[in-house]
Formats: sequence, C-alpha cells, structure tokens
Amino acid sequence: MIFTNPIALYLLPLALIPLFLGMQRQESYPSLAGFETDRLSRAIGWALRLAGVAALASLILGMAGVALRERTIERFGQGAHIVLLIDRSASMNDTFAGRQPSGAEESKSSAAKRLIKEFVVEREHDRFGVAAFSTAPMHVVPITDHKGIVLSAIDAIDRPGLAFTDVGRGLAMALSMIEEDVHQGSRAIVLVSDGVAVVGRKIQDALRTEFARRPVHLYFVYLRTEGANSMFAEPAPGVEDTPQALPERHLNKFFQSLRIPYHAYEAENAAAVKGAITDIGKLEQTPLVYTERIPQYDLSRWAYALAALALGLLLAAKLCERTLKLPGAPGHAA
Amino acid sequence: MSFAGVNFDRRMLLLLGALAATIVATIGIHIIRDQRIADVLAIVDITGSMNTRDMGNPRGSLNRLEASRQALIDMMQDLPCQSRLGLGIFSERISFLLLDPVEICSNYDALEGAISGLDWRMAWQGDSFIAKGLYSGIDIASSLKSDLIFLTDGHEAPPLPFTGVPEFDGKPGAVEGLIVGVGGSEKTPIPKYDDEGRQVGVYNETDVPQDNRIGAAPKDAETREGYNPRNAPFGAMPTNGDEQLSSVKTAHLKDLASRTGLAYVELQNVRGIAPKLLSSTEPRIVPVNTDMAYVPALFALLSILALYALQLIERAPMRRSRVSPAVFEF
Repeated sequence: MIFTNPIALYLLPLALIPLFLGMQRQESYPSLAGFETDRLSRAIGWALRLAGVAALASLILGMAGVALRERTIERFGQGAHIVLLIDRSASMNDTFAGRQPSGAEESKSSAAKRLIKEFVVEREHDRFGVAAFSTAPMHVVPITDHKGIVLSAIDAIDRPGLAFTDVGRGLAMALSMIEEDVHQGSRAIVLVSDGVAVVGRKIQDALRTEFARRPVHLYFVYLRTEGANSMFAEPAPGVEDTPQALPERHLNKFFQSLRIPYHAYEAENAAAVKGAITDIGKLEQTPLVYTERIPQYDLSRWAYALAALALGLLLAAKLCERTLKLPGAPGHAA
Repeated sequence: MSFAGVNFDRRMLLLLGALAATIVATIGIHIIRDQRIADVLAIVDITGSMNTRDMGNPRGSLNRLEASRQALIDMMQDLPCQSRLGLGIFSERISFLLLDPVEICSNYDALEGAISGLDWRMAWQGDSFIAKGLYSGIDIASSLKSDLIFLTDGHEAPPLPFTGVPEFDGKPGAVEGLIVGVGGSEKTPIPKYDDEGRQVGVYNETDVPQDNRIGAAPKDAETREGYNPRNAPFGAMPTNGDEQLSSVKTAHLKDLASRTGLAYVELQNVRGIAPKLLSSTEPRIVPVNTDMAYVPALFALLSILALYALQLIERAPMRRSRVSPAVFEF
C-alpha cells in the first residue's frame, strides 16, 4: 500500500470529527429523562457517526492517492537469459558485399539491428543484456527484463564503430555480466561479429576457466563478408593454417574445444542471419523462472466509491429526519 | 424550502453537494496538462584523468568518474517521468553511443545499471581530445534530436597545440545542453593503472606529454634551445610542466561552451544538474493525462466539514435564546 500524494494524510485526524459532532439538525425538547434507553436508536446513532468517519477518511485516502505497490510475481515459462555481444568495429558498417551501404543494400550492422530487435521483441519471457566490443569491451545494459532499454541499446549498434575487434575481452565482459545476474535459468551468449582477431593465449586460458565454471550456451553468428574466409572451410593448399592467417577458423576451433553447448552460424546475407536467429530461438527453450510485473494499482477510485456509499447512508438518514414542531408553528430554531 | 415532502435545508444541500462531488471524483476528472520533460544524451568522459580522486564529500572520497555516474543517477531522480536519457562515452577523439535515449521511469533500474557500468576500462585509447569529442557528441545528439550533457574534466591530453582549440564547424546552439565540469579546482595527481587494472602509483612529470608536438611548430620555436628545423623543430629541451596533475579546466570548458552554444555548470558547485539542464534547454512539452479527482474530493471534504461545523455555530445561539436548557440530539 503506497500513497502517491502522502501530504494529504495530514488531514486524516479530521476524520474523527463525526465522533464528537452530530450532523443532524438539533431540536430542543424539555426533558429526556422520561425516555428509556433504546438500543436500536443508539446503534443507528453510532452507525451514522461511523458513516461520517468512513466518508471523511476515504475521501482523504482518495486524495492521498492510495494505491497498491507495483509487484513482481514469479512464473514458469520457457526461455533463457541471453547476453547479446555485438561487434561495433567499423567494418560492421559495410554491406555484406564489403561496400559502403547504398540505398539498395543495407549494412551488416543495420541488418543485424533489425533482425536482433525482432528477436528481442518475439522472445516474451527472456531477459536480455547487451555488451559491445571493439577495441575495448563495453558494458551497455546489464541483464534485464525491461525490453525498452535493450531495444534502444540495439538501436545504437549501427552507429560508426571503432577500429579493432577484441572478441576475447568482449566475451569476458559478457561472462561477467552473466556472473552478476542472480536469476535462475539457462544462460546464453549470442556473439554477433563480422570477423575477428586473434584471441591471446592468456585470455584464452581465462575464458577456458570461466566457461568451465559456468554452463553457458554460446552462439556465434559470423556475418561473413563476400570473399572473406569461411570459418568452416579447410584452408586452401598453400595457405598457412595459423590463427593470424585464419582467425575465424581458429576462433571456431577454440569455441569447439571449450566443451560447452556451442553453435556456429555463418551468414552471408540478411536471410541467413534471420535463419540463424530463428534457430537460436528454437534451441533456447529451457524451463525458466521469469518475473512478471504487476503494475501499481490505483485504489483512490475505490476510496471515493466508499465515501459515496457512506454519504448515501448519511443522506438516507437525513431523509428520515422529521421535525418535532408542527408545520406552520413559529419556531425559534431553524 | 421544501420539495416533494423533502425539506431542503442547508444541511441537505451540503450533503447533496458532497455526495455529487464524491460521485464526480469516483468517475474521475482527467485533464490533459503540459509537462516539461527532458530528452537528453549524456556523454561521459572515461579517459585517464577522470580517475582522479578529488570529488565527493569529504573531498577525495569519489573519483571524477564515480561523481559523474552519481550525478547522472541523481539527475534521473530529479527529472519527471517520460523524460528520456541516452548514454555515450568519450575517449580518444570521438564520442561513442551506447544507448539511444530511453524513457527513464519504466527502465530505471536497467538504466541505473548501465550508468554504473561505465568504467575507464571501456576506453579504447589513452588520448583525450576533448574539443573533438564534444563536437562528435554534438553530432550524435543532433542526429538523435536530443539535448546533450557532456561530463568531462576538460583535461586535454596531449595539451592543445599553440593554435588553440580546433574550430567548431557546426551551428552554435543548434544542439542545446550542458557541459558539466567534473573535478576539483586544486591540482591533484592522476592515478596510474597497469595492464591488469591495478593501481600502480600516480603519473609523474615524465609519464605524460607536457606539450603538443603534433603539427606545425609555434613561431617562437626558433629561439628555443637546441632548435633545428629538421631534427628538433620544437627545440631539443623537454618542456617542463604539470600536465601530470589535473584539475577541472573551467576556462577551457567555458570557452568550449561559448563556441558550441551550450551552457556550462561545474559539478562541485551545484547540488544537481537537472534544474540547470531544464533551464538551459528549449522546453520539451508532452501532454500528460492528469487525474484531477482530488478537486471534487476536496470540495466534498469541505462540505462535510461544514456540515459538522453547523452544529457548533447553531448550538450557541440556541442556548441563549431558549428557555429550556435541554438539547436533544436525534
């Protein structure tokens, strides 16, 4: 129970007035001594006083904006807690063909933005967090069930990006966001990138320990630019099979070696990205405790209705009032 | 006065009035009121000098970045609902947008989490070309059609070249908002961190560039010791200075504010930045549906109180004018 305008509660003592003062017209009568105590009359007298108290108190409560506090209740559903780890390097602003976006073709980042937003909106019970990475990892939105802020964070991903792609530290950031989140349920990281750099040995080891500690599903959506290396293909003869020459292939190998549920998608166009995201949606259907918000409920209307009822009672009593004086006889009191 | 057998005395009228007003309050009166809101992009400087601990109360309990985060969270509490806040960071020479502006009340805890997540480790480079960062922040704000709050200590690293502040090529005043100077006025050492993020002392004089040696040399360079047009165009001697110490650069920030048409406010001198933000930007008005049910309710309340008060004012003359002292309450 909360009050949106609690200052009105200072008026609450006024509600005691009906206990001391009557609201009926007073008429003089020589003596009451001759009457026996009438229980019914007393009961009616008290009922009218209480009706007065109720009318005043509920009007004041209504003015104070009495309301039920916003609550969250836990429900069971299907879904996951997902951290979207999004590449903000400058190459994301090019098209899948590796050109500057023109009217006909959209850039990789705006395709990713459109499709990921659809995904976030469709997934009713999931909670999302957003991290970005480029030269440095960036904490954007912690895992939350407020969809609005997640969508506005995704809105920002097609802004001009920075130079490099440090996916290792980005993953470490995503893992630390998962670590901070205390809710139960399946956790997943969706990594969206268009090409990666070598993940250093030290960071590889750190990631290996982190992933071993926590069961996290990892999805890697590789937005492959036309002509770029595929992460699945065997290296062509004559090409060195090193992380420096083929970073995507070796990152994929590293993820496979982590022994966590891992899926890699290579998307060369928006339709393929859509396919990958739909697939992730199908896979992330584990039972989940999610919270549902019950918004604040305004009770002031009910308070006014109660006041109206009490006033109705007083009005009924008023209508029953009869004067002791004969009609037409000159009276002293009104 | 009597009608259809009912006696309409003043009590009856007051009671009927109270009942009618209460019924109106139950149904509810809604009026559309104009509410002044803010729609603002906050860009926080996360470069190294923002780690200087010279803010908070007592002085030194917070570093500048923590003070900036706190100021933004406080501002969120001071702004009315339906205001929107976006978030960006500044490092090197550009501002980087993290979040488009989003409504503050319904996203409060997530937005607070996002603000608390701002960290100097997110910086991608050590340089701090504040003027350029501010100009790119203004570009982002103008593309979002929002106002701008730029929180910085104004400490340029490396120092500005002799040519001074780079020109602002936008239209001054096209984007409104605030430059918030964060930091104390006394020169304070800047903490230094190692690769793993542990503090390892503070910067000393030789750790930071003391003057700007990028671009053309100033006119007086020829008179400097060891000057050589090819090998030492800036002279051969290292410049002495105290760039390793940092304070809020009020004059520089005021200059930037006047170039860009923003207002300047210094965080150490104000309790909150929300009032200054609202007073220095063009009002953004949204219609808000306001429930005015308290007006008829107040009327009903006063009527009922008058009803009971009648007994007080009527009792006294009755006693004086009547022969019989007995007062009967029905």
